[in-house]
Amino acid sequence: MPNLWKRIHKLKAKLLDVRLGTGAATFPSAATATKEFPAITRLHLTYAQKIYGGHQGARHFWRNCLPRLKYHNPAVPMSVKQTTDQEGPASLTIYFSENLSKAASSNVTDMTDQHAPAPSATEKTAVLDLKNLPYTDIWHNVKVLTGAQEVSPTTEEQAELKKVEQMRLKAVEDRKRVAGLRQAKKDQEKMLEQARGEVAKLRQS
Amino acid sequence: MASFNSLMPSGVRSMLSICRSPLRQGSIAAPLFSSYQQVRGKVSAPQKGGKKGSKDKAVDKKKKGPRDYAQVDLSQMEQFALCDAMRYIRAFEVGREPTNAKYEVHIRLKSKRDGPVIRNMIRFPHSVQTESRICVICPPGSRIAKEALAAGAVLVGEQEVFDIVKNGRIEFDRCLCHPDSVDAMNKAGLGRILGPRGLMPNAKMGTIVEDVAARVEDLRGGTVYRERDAVIRLAIGQLAFTPEQLRDNLRATIDQVKKDASAITDKFTKEIYEVVLSSTHGPGFSLTGDFKTDKSPESAVLCGA
Repeated sequence: MPNLWKRIHKLKAKLLDVRLGTGAATFPSAATATKEFPAITRLHLTYAQKIYGGHQGARHFWRNCLPRLKYHNPAVPMSVKQTTDQEGPASLTIYFSENLSKAASSNVTDMTDQHAPAPSATEKTAVLDLKNLPYTDIWHNVKVLTGAQEVSPTTEEQAELKKVEQMRLKAVEDRKRVAGLRQAKKDQEKMLEQARGEVAKLRQS
Repeated sequence: MASFNSLMPSGVRSMLSICRSPLRQGSIAAPLFSSYQQVRGKVSAPQKGGKKGSKDKAVDKKKKGPRDYAQVDLSQMEQFALCDAMRYIRAFEVGREPTNAKYEVHIRLKSKRDGPVIRNMIRFPHSVQTESRICVICPPGSRIAKEALAAGAVLVGEQEVFDIVKNGRIEFDRCLCHPDSVDAMNKAGLGRILGPRGLMPNAKMGTIVEDVAARVEDLRGGTVYRERDAVIRLAIGQLAFTPEQLRDNLRATIDQVKKDASAITDKFTKEIYEVVLSSTHGPGFSLTGDFKTDKSPESAVLCGA
């Protein structure tokens, strides 16, 4: 097992990263739903395995945003389908309960995702096309469509973020310093080796 | 909540009523497996002591490492209740196949570097679905063969099994043998092929048994675990499990590990030091032993995909 502090710092940074950042937001649930933004019941993401053909953003959305969304909305099932079809669609299906939100119904695409689970009788789905979009844009679109409320860091979390950033900067500095030390040691060894070689040569001649 | 506390070393004594149901299953299984628990270093330990008395100075000159495994001070470690840890893990595992991603538990023991290791098998109250394919060597066409097949063995027989193994097509993870077939097996010379894979039936390992069918059933539902460098690691649940199911499995595991630890001779004491919950792709969370805190979400939410 690694050093305890390494373990603690690494875990803390990871957890902070899941709690805060792009995509850290709560969806309207059954309790907080309004007419404009009905509750979100499910998400489904489909994209292809490789990044060419415009699938990069969708993959990054899964990597970066989905864990945060899942953390803040543990009750919303989220599924991901990775296809091998690079020409195929990259899409996000959002399941609204009862009706679509106003924003979603105003820009309806006629796409359907064949990998997405079928909506139940009380669900309506909106499908977003994610091809050639960076994940930040995808998140912006999702936020506008669903009316998700972004989670802002508490004062403790802000302090923690600051500390993580400080440690990162310190690590860059330290890495440089240690690299210098190692290089100096190597140089000296090389120099000594060379000197020894010269002495041996002199003796031979 | 208090009963969950009993998982942890602090509350060893208090076993409450809720945790009895998984326990009962465990207690049926215990005598079966305890017979083949390996005790490594049991023989070598007294020899070491003898040497030390005669050549005391010679031993002292050699620098020896610490006798015990180093333990970290957990007072600085952030610890989590089960539901909170599950919430994080489910976030880290989002989008993964719920049947592929598994919850894992790592049980850190306080233990000496030498001496026996814990090695046993457990049946969970809720199956983790690690299907293992089992081969049974017994007289073909007998009652035993039929029972073994009914219990779910993939390959049953004598000569046909030997032929298959010699052809190099080993499509099973476990191999059992009935005492009646031991001679035939030894004659067939499978040791060279099965031995390196750890599949050779052996009375010491508990893989030569009379009641083959019962063992097959145990092996199919059971998970084998062993202690390595003072840590026991094993998968204890699918990602789709509810917190209650996971708690039952965790409790059964820890109870059994405690039982194993107490079954080891008095000379070596082992106790549980830390319990860490992690998953196939997620980080590890040190557990407090509480089921949930005020901040954790409803347990009904933490299941499914």
